[in-house]
Amino acid sequence: QVSVINTVDTSHEDMIHDAQMDYYGTRLATCSSDRSVKIFDVRNGGQILIADLRGHEGPVWQVAWAHPMYGNILASCSYDRKVIIWKEENGTWEKTYEYTGHDSSVNSVCWAPHDYGLILACGSSDGAISLLSYTGDGQWEVKKISNAHTIGCNAVSWAPAVVPGSLIEQPSGQKPNYVKRFASGGCDNLVKIWKEEDSQWKEEQKLEAHSDWVRDVAWAPSIGLPTSTIASCSQDGRVFIWTCDDASGNSWSPKLLHKFNDVVWHVSWSITANILAVSGGDNKVTLWKESVDGLWACISDVNKGQGGVSAVPEGQQNEQ
Amino acid sequence: MEEPDTDPPLVVVPGADPSARQLCFEWGPAEVLVCETRFGRKGGSRTHPVPSRSPSRPQSHPIPTPIPSQSRALTGCVADAAGAAPGSSRVFVVHRDQDIYIQTLRKLFNESHGIFMGLQRSEEELAGKSRKAQLVQVSKNYRSVIRACMEDMHQAAVSTRDPALQGQYSTQVSILSAMELIWNLCEILFVEAAAAGPLLLRLLDWVRLHVCDVDSMVREVLSSESPSKHKLFWNVVDVFVLQGRMDEARHLLSKEATANPTSMTMYKILDDLMKKMPMPSLGNTQTLTELELKWQHWHEECQRFLQDGTFASNPHMESICKILLGDEDAILEKKELMTTWYHFLVTRLLYSHPTVKPMELRFYAQSSMDMFLGGESSPEPLDMILMAAFEFEMHQVIKECSIVLSNWWFVAHLTDLLDHCKLLQSHNLYFGSNMREFLLLEYASGLFSHHSLWQLGVDYFDHCPEYGRVYLELHIERIPLSTEQKALKVLRICEQRQMHEQVRSVCKIMAMKALRNNRLGSALSWSIRAKDAAFATLISDRFLKDYCERGCFSDLDLIDNLGPSMLLSDRLTFLGKYREFHRLYGEKRFPEAARLLLTLMTAHIAPCSFWMTLLTDALPLLEQKEIIFSAEQTYELMRCLEDLTAGNVDKQKFQEDDVETTKVEMLRLALARNLARVIVKEGTVEGS
Repeated sequence: QVSVINTVDTSHEDMIHDAQMDYYGTRLATCSSDRSVKIFDVRNGGQILIADLRGHEGPVWQVAWAHPMYGNILASCSYDRKVIIWKEENGTWEKTYEYTGHDSSVNSVCWAPHDYGLILACGSSDGAISLLSYTGDGQWEVKKISNAHTIGCNAVSWAPAVVPGSLIEQPSGQKPNYVKRFASGGCDNLVKIWKEEDSQWKEEQKLEAHSDWVRDVAWAPSIGLPTSTIASCSQDGRVFIWTCDDASGNSWSPKLLHKFNDVVWHVSWSITANILAVSGGDNKVTLWKESVDGLWACISDVNKGQGGVSAVPEGQQNEQ
Repeated sequence: MEEPDTDPPLVVVPGADPSARQLCFEWGPAEVLVCETRFGRKGGSRTHPVPSRSPSRPQSHPIPTPIPSQSRALTGCVADAAGAAPGSSRVFVVHRDQDIYIQTLRKLFNESHGIFMGLQRSEEELAGKSRKAQLVQVSKNYRSVIRACMEDMHQAAVSTRDPALQGQYSTQVSILSAMELIWNLCEILFVEAAAAGPLLLRLLDWVRLHVCDVDSMVREVLSSESPSKHKLFWNVVDVFVLQGRMDEARHLLSKEATANPTSMTMYKILDDLMKKMPMPSLGNTQTLTELELKWQHWHEECQRFLQDGTFASNPHMESICKILLGDEDAILEKKELMTTWYHFLVTRLLYSHPTVKPMELRFYAQSSMDMFLGGESSPEPLDMILMAAFEFEMHQVIKECSIVLSNWWFVAHLTDLLDHCKLLQSHNLYFGSNMREFLLLEYASGLFSHHSLWQLGVDYFDHCPEYGRVYLELHIERIPLSTEQKALKVLRICEQRQMHEQVRSVCKIMAMKALRNNRLGSALSWSIRAKDAAFATLISDRFLKDYCERGCFSDLDLIDNLGPSMLLSDRLTFLGKYREFHRLYGEKRFPEAARLLLTLMTAHIAPCSFWMTLLTDALPLLEQKEIIFSAEQTYELMRCLEDLTAGNVDKQKFQEDDVETTKVEMLRLALARNLARVIVKEGTVEGS
């Protein structure tokens, strides 16, 4: 059973490209082709505009909330090649950092797990991926991976933080030795996995299976199992689920979730990683769940001809 | 990939624009966001035709079926054409389980939580009969909670003036009623596993309890002055007979007999037959075979009377006799008085096969439903669920219930109970971890989106051995820490379960919040609790900065009582010790204070940036009448001063700052003077 509990009228003057709830579901950030980023307080079914952030000079593609332990921080990326980090100070939202190191549209931003600090990965149409790390006192350190994907990078997604080796609690004050990884998808039809080694980012894996541009990648949250899972979707209409069983991250095997009839634009995991949502060009969003024997249960009745979409008038709402 | 067996449930998101737009979907912690968008605008120079399809299909939220021998389609919200605004800039916050927000159901969730916990902790050493009795009691407790909730909901429906609300409440009442109906049947068939004999009695009770459409009619007739003259009199007698309420039927019939002496003979015979009807008993007073024999004799006796035409002149009584004989047509004639096929089923069994065995039920059930519905209407979901129960297809029952009901409460608790009855273990499940856990995880996850019910969810996760802990970790991080009390509650839960990461995370978030609100003391205590050295250092710096600016400390209590947590970070240690220095000074314990001051610098506890301040603090000690610093200490101080000034030689600020240079001069002077005095003092031999 689903019900719409709130309809937020964002008053964006143009197409909305992304909407993200903050960590607790109390605030909503939206961004649009009208170049603005808006933040709403949506507690208790309300919608109060908290901020209308202007600073971008082109359509804003994505927003991402940082972990609340760093305060209220939001990142946005845009066609104008900029990444802007906004912060709430004393009740008002302001630009706290602007990164202009890319040569064309920045398509995707993603915050790293909070355990690593405040780190933002940005993927751009200039083929590069930048990593912005907050070093304190309003300073950000930039590391750039040039030519990460030829033609362009469309998506970035961080792996959940997992301490390798022992699971005993680290003594206080010491930072555990995290192995930082993230995945990226690009116009070279590849999904790549990047790993930080000796403070440098290196390409660890190249995952090939798509035959057209990769539009989105999403690394599933960890539920304590030793496997890692990544979902990728592409212009070629396919969605692949990549799994890696060993901790060293060496052998990834893809499983085709489904081949859709149109471009698949967006994939995202629920917070307990048990459901994958796939947004396609065929004006449908489908949800998928994995079964115990590793098969992905197709949740959309595509085979039975539901691919032809037609509007269902109000009177025919299904009770379920 | 399995072929789905049924159409995916479609959910309409009212108001979403069905025109040429695509849907973007994002997960929130407890809800999902759907917004209309158009993909393909980003991603570089390659242009892709924007598909102009109508309409956009919003996202659905699914009720994933736990029994996946078929894959369930979970999608499909369709946009509702009404209310579409041009150039829509709306984001829909879609929620999957609204029931948790219904106030009247709150009691259901709270009390069933108590029963659930009791069941988890109950002794498994009890075996056999006593364990079964215990489980039956648990089942009854759940049912009474459902009934209590129904009662509340009914009251609410009656007392509200708002027709929409009233409709809502009434719907809830019927849903709860259906839930209790199903649960009761499951209790009889699965939990109690009533055997042939008692099975029929239980089913009779069940029917009597749940088919209440005729209650008002019964009341009306009974309360009238002369019931036998009431036009519905015979209907009521029939109701009693159909429900096996022989005593009540006979009582009413006796009134009729008194009113109509002519039918006295007939009445006496019928009454006698009804009195003698053999019924299963709950105790062990007769075996099934004995019962069957008796029943056979009685059946034949009824047959004889009917065939003799004893009741020919009174169609009512004749029909009753036919019913007693289990004549299906006669019983079916009274369809409206039974109202449901399962009532028909039980009546049939009562009068044709009272010693029915549990495994035989399925045949009677199917045929009863077919006969009753007679091809005029098709079975509803509730009918299918009950049928599955009669067929002892537990999994089917759970699956159907999951689909039909709007939240997981029912299936989660029922399945848990059945699992405790050890009834579910032989089935091989499809969807990952076992079904009980699956349903409990779904139910508890739903609770987490509620601002206070989430606490119940914690307990449920605790009893999910495989994924409960990790689900709890993921969910508890998302509880908004809106007040300190809430944060402490969350902390306590995490600490009890040794969820160290979550503890640290919560403390860090609270520390950051406090810092932003300039509540340094609070921030410090949170960062100590988080064992976050870096943050503690940051806050200590703030304290010290405040001190430099204002000349006094805030939150003295906290700093004074740091204890061993002072060691968390060097800066914090310094803060604590520095404050101690001030205290010692205040208490006029100058030598100790002096020693401490010196240690702070020589042991490098103090940051270099603070040395100047410390040295300045030393000034009054140097100027005291009595000598406080020994020669050695004075040399140390001088060395510190020289280290400090030497290190700052390149700093322009230092050289240009008159105040600083004056200070340094004063210090050098004071140190030199002290040195002079102390050399003299130490050189002087005291007494001899």
